[in-house]
Amino acid sequence: MEDNVLKVRGLRKSFGDRDATVPVLADLSFELHSAGSLALMGRSGSGKSTLLNILCGLEQPDAGELTLFGQDHRQIDWQQLRRERIGVVFQEANLMPALSLLDNVRLRASLAGQPESRCQHWLDVLDIGALAQRFPDQVSGGQRQRAALAMVFAMSPSLILADEPTGSLDRVTADDVADSLFRLQAETGCGLILATHDPELASRCEKILDLAHQAADQNTGQSGL
Amino acid sequence: MRCWWLSMVAMVWLVTGCSKPDSEAGFAGLADSRDGSLGFEQPAPGDVLVFPEDFGAHPAHRIEWWYLTANLETEAGDPLGLQWTQFRQALEPRSTDATPPEPSAWPMQAAWMAHAAVSHQGQHWFQERLARGDLGQAGAIAEPFEVWLDHWRMAAGDHPNQWQLTVSQGQPGQQGYWAFDLELSVKGLPVAHGDQGFSAKSASGEGSMYFSLVDIEVTGTVTLADKDLNVQGKAWFDREWSSQFLKAGQQGWDWFALHLDSGDKLMAFRLREEGGHFRSGTWIPRSGEPRALSSDQLQLKPTAGSGPVPTRWRLQVPGQDVDIELVAPEGNYTNDGLFPYWESPVSVSGSHSGAGYMELTGYNN
Amino acid sequence: MTAFSALLSHYRRHPWQGIALALLMLMATALWTGIYHLTSQARASLSQSERVVEARYQVQRVDGAALSVEDFVTLRRQGLCLMPWLEVLPEGESRRVIGVDPLAALCFQGQADVVSFDGQPLRGDPFMDIADAAALPARQAQLFLIVDPDTGELSADYRITDFSLAPDTGQLGDSFLLNLDALSVLVLLITGLLLRSVYLLSLSQRRDSFALLHRFGVSPRRVRGHLVAELVGLAALTLMPGILLGQLLANALAGGFASVMEGLFDSRQFVTSGNSWLMPALVMVTLLLLVCAVDWLIPEKLRKAFAVANRSGGLSLLLLVAGGAGVWLAANLLFLFGSVALMLAGAGLLMPWCLSVLSSRLAQASKQPFRRWWWAEFGVLCRRLALPLVALQLSLAMVLAVQALVTTFEATFDHWLGQRLSADYYLEVPTDADGQVAVDWLEQNLPESSGAIWHRVLRGQGQLDVSGHEQSVDIFAVAPVGALVSDWRLIESAGQPWQRLAAGQGVMVNEQLAYRHELAAGDSVQLTLAGQSLRLPVLGVYPDYGRPAGEILLAADQLPDDFSVSFESFSISPGEVDIEVITEALSALWQEPALTLRDNRSIRDLANRVFEQTFMLTRAMTMLTLVLAAVALLLMGWVFLSTRLWYFRLLAVWGTARTGIFLSLLTLALTVSVSAAALALPVGIGLTWVLVQRINPLAFGWSLPLDLYPGFWLELLGLALLIGLCIGLLMRRQLGRPAVRPSVTGTITGGER
Repeated sequence: MEDNVLKVRGLRKSFGDRDATVPVLADLSFELHSAGSLALMGRSGSGKSTLLNILCGLEQPDAGELTLFGQDHRQIDWQQLRRERIGVVFQEANLMPALSLLDNVRLRASLAGQPESRCQHWLDVLDIGALAQRFPDQVSGGQRQRAALAMVFAMSPSLILADEPTGSLDRVTADDVADSLFRLQAETGCGLILATHDPELASRCEKILDLAHQAADQNTGQSGL
Repeated sequence: MRCWWLSMVAMVWLVTGCSKPDSEAGFAGLADSRDGSLGFEQPAPGDVLVFPEDFGAHPAHRIEWWYLTANLETEAGDPLGLQWTQFRQALEPRSTDATPPEPSAWPMQAAWMAHAAVSHQGQHWFQERLARGDLGQAGAIAEPFEVWLDHWRMAAGDHPNQWQLTVSQGQPGQQGYWAFDLELSVKGLPVAHGDQGFSAKSASGEGSMYFSLVDIEVTGTVTLADKDLNVQGKAWFDREWSSQFLKAGQQGWDWFALHLDSGDKLMAFRLREEGGHFRSGTWIPRSGEPRALSSDQLQLKPTAGSGPVPTRWRLQVPGQDVDIELVAPEGNYTNDGLFPYWESPVSVSGSHSGAGYMELTGYNN
Repeated sequence: MTAFSALLSHYRRHPWQGIALALLMLMATALWTGIYHLTSQARASLSQSERVVEARYQVQRVDGAALSVEDFVTLRRQGLCLMPWLEVLPEGESRRVIGVDPLAALCFQGQADVVSFDGQPLRGDPFMDIADAAALPARQAQLFLIVDPDTGELSADYRITDFSLAPDTGQLGDSFLLNLDALSVLVLLITGLLLRSVYLLSLSQRRDSFALLHRFGVSPRRVRGHLVAELVGLAALTLMPGILLGQLLANALAGGFASVMEGLFDSRQFVTSGNSWLMPALVMVTLLLLVCAVDWLIPEKLRKAFAVANRSGGLSLLLLVAGGAGVWLAANLLFLFGSVALMLAGAGLLMPWCLSVLSSRLAQASKQPFRRWWWAEFGVLCRRLALPLVALQLSLAMVLAVQALVTTFEATFDHWLGQRLSADYYLEVPTDADGQVAVDWLEQNLPESSGAIWHRVLRGQGQLDVSGHEQSVDIFAVAPVGALVSDWRLIESAGQPWQRLAAGQGVMVNEQLAYRHELAAGDSVQLTLAGQSLRLPVLGVYPDYGRPAGEILLAADQLPDDFSVSFESFSISPGEVDIEVITEALSALWQEPALTLRDNRSIRDLANRVFEQTFMLTRAMTMLTLVLAAVALLLMGWVFLSTRLWYFRLLAVWGTARTGIFLSLLTLALTVSVSAAALALPVGIGLTWVLVQRINPLAFGWSLPLDLYPGFWLELLGLALLIGLCIGLLMRRQLGRPAVRPSVTGTITGGER
């Protein structure tokens, strides 16, 4: 395994047209070693989601160096990487509504080329094994986020990008979900980048990158795909 | 002064083949059709009447009519009104000396329409007939005088100044049959209206050629509801032709021909338009020359009506000390044909007494 | 900010949803208005067509000479109501035109129109102004003078004979109109479904706002009140444009581009159409209110009970079975229509249920997770788009039924004309002339080698003994029985019916007689002709398309010599022989200069052309329904799939290629629309069957043949594919844009399963 999972140098990204560009990310640099964890802090609109989008190849940076698993970002097959190595967890709606929790995990695992036989195991590990046949609208928000974590770990990821994964949960549930996330991250040894505005959650990561001072109070829109 | 408007509508409608005749079509069509008047001869001030030719058809003009109204009385002394009109409407102009097309080609250079109506005891009988010209089915000849459509016919009789008018509708003995068969004795010479026969129809100079026979003695038989009624009385005969239509914006007209008991005759009409009506008329004294009446020499106003149709009028000719009221009898006198209009006898009271006829158009919806 | 403006603000944020809603409402209005207009036009067109072909009289010259314009003028000036009818076969054309004079036609009763002939436009199909017809270079031209015989006495030079363009259509037209009415009710149902789906869409898209308002203390009743006010407002905005659009559409479909332009720029359109907007407006407002009020009119418990009852498809099956039984057993029309409604309701409920069950079964059976997701998603689509899908299904079914019906009517009309006008020419035997003389001449001079076929027709009355009761029937005797009758389509027959009929071994009965006395092929009838009693087997039943009188067809050789013939004629297809040779010879033999001869081929051609407009209008009506149902599905599908966009984009986050996602979407849309078409097929066939085999016999006592047209099914399938393709392509554009994450409540917008 590479020593450095991720290396970012002088990353820039702005939105808008030629006449009126709004810088979102300006001259950003950081690194993440394997099994390391990094919290992205900052208010809404500070560029957390944009950075995550860039890190999984859904958006391209304007300038700067980005090396992921030792590969320059311009040479990366992002599609394959997202399928097999990068797991993404959103604040909500991580599950296909028409599929049961287990089928969701199976779908994600099969896309990543992982065996479906381990899917029930991941649900058990996340304490929702008994709910495997339920549909997303039949379980609580916390259980949905656990299922989302099961999906991510079922693909055996090298890097997890989590965008406010506990953002819409109450304190207790949020702590439970966060516990599971950090525990399994430690066990599997994958990298974790977690965007949050919750300082307590951020403090559980090895490093914190505060984007607040980098971006003005510009609203770049909602966390979009 | 006759159904200009009717003819216009008919024209527009025959030529363009629009689906339903109605006032919208008529007035929408006015402007279009004026452009199409090229090729037709147009009456103008200075034109004169020529007899007997002008009793016949004028194929170079677009529209013309032969029109007779009669205020009659039955043997029982009941009033009876009677109307007969024949129209010619050209679709293309033809010079007077040109050869008419072959009948076997079923030509459609002109359409003819005849109307006949009888008003008696509050009831009104009306019928219309249509024909294409140049077949022989309908036509008009000046000498010897004859105007006909199918079996309806007005024609000179065996004696000079003696005419016959026959009309029948339906089959004798069957329900709905009615008819008239009249002898007309024409007294006096034709009266030219306006300027030697040129009668203006708007302030801007549109007009028609127009003359009348105002003193006709009538005797004959009218058959209504299986009863033969012997009648006698007075009639009024109009001849009018033109090519130019009403100005756009003229909504219709009100026309009167009156036999006053004093022996004088009076013709008056007004064309209704936005911002003031155009009035005109002719005062025909018992003796002496007829006098044309201009817009400011006569007043004509409705005073009451039945529905949208004004059936009571006040007519004033200050220069002749005429201030009379004209009243239609009770009843509905709408000629309900392709183009409905009102045609009823009127009684005259006020400074003068007498009887006459009234024609009102453009009040139908 | 009031609750109302808070509700409306939804559309400020999502203007496209508001526009889609308004568009659907507008289309539904346009649809029904269009149908309403087309139906009334079809009705008018049919009655005009029937008026044109109804029986008339003509004048002929006693000396047999051709009529001319002089004859016309002479008779008109005698006071007769007369109109010219100039049949012209133009050079280089195979179809005749008829020149008429609308001015002369005015004296016939019930006509007050000088620009058409009995409502038929003067455009040469087949009628035109007589001057134009006379001006055509003609291969053949013949002038007829149609007369109203009650308008006067004819002079001795003329006589009056029958004249008609075609036999009386009788109940054929009434039947067509009844079916048309049944169909417009169906269209109203489809419109209702479309409106309901619009209403539900507007509800579901804003459940968040409702929840919020509820939290702010606004009662659900008030929210609902606001919603209805909003819908009524929307209706007020879309109603008039919808009605106008419907009129324009109807005109476009009925009269082509020219009349649309006329409609657009001619104020007369709106004057003459009078209150034609009133009816559609009233119907639409009522329908809209009903559609919104369904939720209050039917108590929630009952609705829940329905939903439970239908969880296993039981309710829809029950409705189908009950409706089917009702249709089968119905003894009167009202009961039948009720049963059809039940059946349609059952079919409408069954379809989404079927698809939903199918999808979950197939999802269960799929080993591959991605395929399982696809089927699950398909199930969601079917459930969410149930209403527009049912509307499309019913529209497709209706189009199928109408296509079959109209084609059947055309074919029937053709058969019916063919049956009555089987030969090329029809020659009346003049009163007092001897038909046998003509038979002898024809046998001698028209040998089989000439290709000529003919038969002699004798008509009269006979007595039929039905279970002890004597009943009068029409007798229709033919000799020789040959090719002119043997290609008739028989409803039922014994073996070799025509040979046996020719041999005098039996009779045939018409449909009406068979229906009334339950006669079938093989039964025997007791017949009395001129006092002579005969017992003969029934060899076949021939269709008579609504002729109310009972009729018996037999070989003329079987008639007793003293049978009183009320009418006699010859039907002749002369083959290579010139018909004039025949008429001249017979004219000389009969010493009758003017024979009544009708050219049946031109009658057939003309009658078909006169009715063409009616059939065209009916097809237009159904196509309009179909197109709008398709557009509705397109819009609803697009709107719904847009709310699911997040999940399709999720697949991209999970590393699926965009083309793969697009293909999934496309196959989803295609499968949904094609499923609707496939499930429409049985409904359409059932509907056709009900229309021709059940409604018609119940209403009129005779049936139309049930013909199906599989080629047309393929066309409809193609159309369904096209709709699916359009939805897919619309979504492809969407895929490239950022997706908004489903809202906090999660299960409402786009999160359905």
